Amino acid sequence: MSTTQTVPARVSPAPVHRLGVTPARVLRSEWHKFWTLRSTWVTLSGSSLLILATGLAVAISHEPAGAGPEEVGDPVVLTLLGIQFGQIILTVLGVLFTAGEYSTGMIRASLSAVPRRLPVLWAKAAVFAAVTLVTGLITTFATFLLAQPFLADTDMGASLADPGVAGAVAGTALSLTLLGVLGLGLGALLRSVPGAVGAFFAGVVIMPEVLSAVPSDAVKEAVSYFPARAAQSLGAVQHQAGSPSDPAALLTLCLWALAALGTAGWLLKRRDV
Amino acid sequence: MIKANGLTKRYGGRTRRPGRTGRTGTPVGTGKTVVDDLTFTVEPGAVTGFLGPNGAGKSTTMRMIMGLDAPTAGHVTVGDRAYAAHPAPLHEVGGLLEARAVHPGRTAHHHLMALAHTHGIPGSRVEHVLGLTGLTDVAGNRVKGFSLGMGQRLGIAAALLGDPATVILDEPVNGLDPEGVLWIRNLLKSLAAEGRTVFVSSHLMSETALTADRLIIIGRGRLLAETTVADFVRDSGVTAMKVVSPGARTLASLLAGPGVEIAPGAASDELDVRGVDGAYIGRIAAAHAVPLYELTPRTASLEQAFMDLTRDEVEYQAGTTHDAPTGAAA
Ligand SMILES: Nc1ncnc2c1ncn2[C@@H]1O[C@H](COP(=O)(O)OP(=O)(O)OP(=O)(O)O)[C@@H](O)[C@H]1O
Ligand SMILES: [Mg+2]
Repeated sequence: MSTTQTVPARVSPAPVHRLGVTPARVLRSEWHKFWTLRSTWVTLSGSSLLILATGLAVAISHEPAGAGPEEVGDPVVLTLLGIQFGQIILTVLGVLFTAGEYSTGMIRASLSAVPRRLPVLWAKAAVFAAVTLVTGLITTFATFLLAQPFLADTDMGASLADPGVAGAVAGTALSLTLLGVLGLGLGALLRSVPGAVGAFFAGVVIMPEVLSAVPSDAVKEAVSYFPARAAQSLGAVQHQAGSPSDPAALLTLCLWALAALGTAGWLLKRRDV
Repeated sequence: MIKANGLTKRYGGRTRRPGRTGRTGTPVGTGKTVVDDLTFTVEPGAVTGFLGPNGAGKSTTMRMIMGLDAPTAGHVTVGDRAYAAHPAPLHEVGGLLEARAVHPGRTAHHHLMALAHTHGIPGSRVEHVLGLTGLTDVAGNRVKGFSLGMGQRLGIAAALLGDPATVILDEPVNGLDPEGVLWIRNLLKSLAAEGRTVFVSSHLMSETALTADRLIIIGRGRLLAETTVADFVRDSGVTAMKVVSPGARTLASLLAGPGVEIAPGAASDELDVRGVDGAYIGRIAAAHAVPLYELTPRTASLEQAFMDLTRDEVEYQAGTTHDAPTGAAA
């Protein structure tokens, strides 16, 4: 560190313009934080490539007339089968964006700069949601369009102009985003990357599967409003009996994401850092 | 200016959040009280050392000043209000906390830039504080690869980013090389000379005495002394002067008197004198034409005084008028 002089230079050589903290500036800061970590680029491109690759692989290997081992009867669900993996990766990104600040200690710097605290959480959610929605939409539409030519002559052939298809492709991207925001909220809530990823797995991925084994219609009805199930109905062209309509599924997902964020915000104001 | 009033932090028990005023009700529940009814003022234009042994509650107090931990009772203001009530906190207060507060995957430059954006601070200011802390060459490196000292410098760069009126540093010399320690001493003095409030924690009295003007000493979360370095040195009464003189024996008899302790030093021409200061010894020696080869205060004795003070706070409180314990089960 030979560049350091033992007699310090002036700390303030020129008057520093004094501006306050505003929501727009916090947004700018979180935007900067988001893009200056390698993990962001790795997870974003990783999930997109995985969705695309899975979609192409499934489309190329598809046997006409449902002879394949999988029992997917929905062209959008089939081409976007990779969403399962992409979802996990994007959720990890959401968790890293919040819980990662606690594991590294960065949160102390963040909340010293923005001691009102809540703007940091809202800005994180906004940046994450905007970026994931845009990449999600590009990925799902690109995957659908690139995979469909391989399915043209099969029972899984579909076009964006067909009723419900464009909505299901967009719905897949929306649910990708909203489940990611749910993960981001869990990260802020639990303050631990493995804890939040584990909670997402247990609560969102596994629990509905376990509960739907319960032989009760009331339980089955309730489970269809769980985040993962609502996401499934949002991403399907064909409406399954007993599952929520698209607007209801979207509202359900939004409420889950908001509940996680709201609880995280409520605790953020009350807990020590 | 930092003002703490009845500041208390208890871990483990139930705590009550402060309201808009930053004031809480009476402490509730049980648990471990790590900061206990601290009342003190840190004045601008001076370096104030914040001393206490390990676990005394220094870092906890600093986190409460920065609004990161909520007091169980009492309140603390910095500038004219609670930290969180400042519209531009980075311009009011710059803090270096004990634990690292940086994402290791980000570069030093991006870390500072992310903080700067919250206040609309321009990139030129980021470059300036990087230069000030000697990090310009490594600004593009990820913090992951930084040494302890470089991480500490980055923390100091972040603290100075907003050109703040108050600077709070928790053990800033931790991990710095001798050049870095010297740099910190000069930095603290120049910050205070510019009229800023400078509050620096340490558990080394000898190091603090070199830079600080004022002292706040705590032990087990309680205030033990709020004083100046000069007063502490005088009041401690244990400042030993190392005197080397060919006329050591003559000088010993000349200095002897009530309240003066004289012990033979390591060599035959060396004395260990307590109870009088260097100026007095020098004058006596000159008046009686006794040559002096050396006249040095022993900083180790300053450390000793600090240890005596903090080793047994109950004993100290019984012997002073400072901060009489209120309802303490002494
Ligand atoms: N979050 C916490 N939960 C429980 N106890 C805590 C917490 N933070 C600190 N403590 C306890 O509070 C006491 C004071 O800790 P603090 O870090 O403030 O001391 P310190 O004066 O900074 O010590 P050091 O000189 O070692 O840095 C310690 O006994 C510590 O174990
Ligand atoms: Mg400490």
